[in-house]
Amino acid sequence: MRVALAEDGALFREGLLMLLKAAGHEIVGAVDGGDELVALLATEQADVAILDIRMPPEPDGGLTTAERLRASYPSMGLLFLSHYAETHYLMRILEIGTDSIGYRLKEKVGSVDVLTDTLDRIHNGEIVIEPVLAKRLVERPRGDKKDVVASLSEREMDVLRLMAEGRSNNGIAAQLFVTPKAVEKHIANIFGKLGLHTDTSEHHRRVLAVLTYLRSQRSEE
Amino acid sequence: MTPAPPRHDGERSPNGLALGDLESLPGPRPAALLPEIPPSAEGIPSAASTTIGPTTGAISHVLPAESLNELMSESSELNGGRAGAEESMGAALRRREAAQWVRRRLLERQLHDGASLRISALALRLGLLRYQSPLDEEDWQHRIAELQDELHAVLQELRAVSAQIYPPLLDQAGLGPALRELVDQSGAEVEIVAGTDRFGPVAEGAAYFAVAECLAAQSAGDRPVLRVTIERAEQDLLLTAVGVGAEQVGLMLDQAHPLGGTVNLFEGDTPDGGTITVRIPCE
Repeated sequence: MRVALAEDGALFREGLLMLLKAAGHEIVGAVDGGDELVALLATEQADVAILDIRMPPEPDGGLTTAERLRASYPSMGLLFLSHYAETHYLMRILEIGTDSIGYRLKEKVGSVDVLTDTLDRIHNGEIVIEPVLAKRLVERPRGDKKDVVASLSEREMDVLRLMAEGRSNNGIAAQLFVTPKAVEKHIANIFGKLGLHTDTSEHHRRVLAVLTYLRSQRSEE
Repeated sequence: MTPAPPRHDGERSPNGLALGDLESLPGPRPAALLPEIPPSAEGIPSAASTTIGPTTGAISHVLPAESLNELMSESSELNGGRAGAEESMGAALRRREAAQWVRRRLLERQLHDGASLRISALALRLGLLRYQSPLDEEDWQHRIAELQDELHAVLQELRAVSAQIYPPLLDQAGLGPALRELVDQSGAEVEIVAGTDRFGPVAEGAAYFAVAECLAAQSAGDRPVLRVTIERAEQDLLLTAVGVGAEQVGLMLDQAHPLGGTVNLFEGDTPDGGTITVRIPCE
């Protein structure tokens, strides 16, 4: 996979470069800011751009740069890396796009397997959400959602958490060692209990519906 | 040093209570607090108007006398005379100073017992890896994954400490997002109403920690905060917390006072508690 990287921390950038190379990816360029990434991608093609959220142009150059990149290259995947997993950033990222996009903690992409899985999913059009954040969203829904979520079975909670990570039915099935058909059944049950009627066959809409549900009643920004 | 002139903020409480004055009484030792009963406004029962103030500005702290008594629980003589009032203010200032040092010690303790200890243990485990050959590839992968999980735990602990020093989201995105994240993580049921206005790191920091302290007190059993509004009032940051009790005025004072801010309490504003407004000058 052709990957472009923008990260202003030299140590982390070098470490990630080594890991990307070890994973067999082609690095089309590694720069230390958003404007430099835009300039780089004017001449180089990449399948996925990896962006630090907090880098020049300050304060959150990763996000503003990604908006420009998504407008210019809609099919290019975007992976945001951050030192923090925050709902605020997740919502801003989902405003940039809801497909081929990911948000992960920096220290959580520290293995070839995880990094490759994350990049593959983004390249395949999925949303990838940091499991730490997805877990927090599922375990701490707001207001009356708490009671509804608490009514889910343990297995349904597992499925909901994986859905909030942006995983596909097949991805959830692989994680839980069950069949995709069993996952579909769980999802139908979950949506029934949550009172959601979104088309469950459409991956992006389903993930968004779940995230919106978990986050509803939090004051909108 | 010359005391600052009395300050009239001209606001009125929802029940029509006129807010009082404040004058600055600087000095190395807390100056006299002068409890006085201001003229009743529109037939409202008398309120206590207290006056303290740093040289940087004035702080008004106007609330019914019984609430003030509750707030300044260190002294039961608040309305009994100048000496009692003086002790109360001294006690309040000492409490604030003491709280600051307690916070520092807790942070140090948190670093010592958390991240430092984990990193020390990691060093030992890495040393062990040097001498213990893995049983097989799976064992090797498992050991590395364990070390990475431990590093994640270290970072999470450092993040928790950072958040107590100055929340990164506050710096990056402002009070609205930072307070919403705080509320989300605390599990409290508080509505945050805030625009995208920025007020500078000092006023934003003070407002953030004023709310954080209230939420912590809330989880400790005080009355719940229902709604927090952040807005600009002329050159100041105006924080309005609805559904709070008089006992939380002190927490707000601790943050606003050093910046020359003003704190007002409107008791019984809502069925669930009163309203506190905090006004903090922006730099």
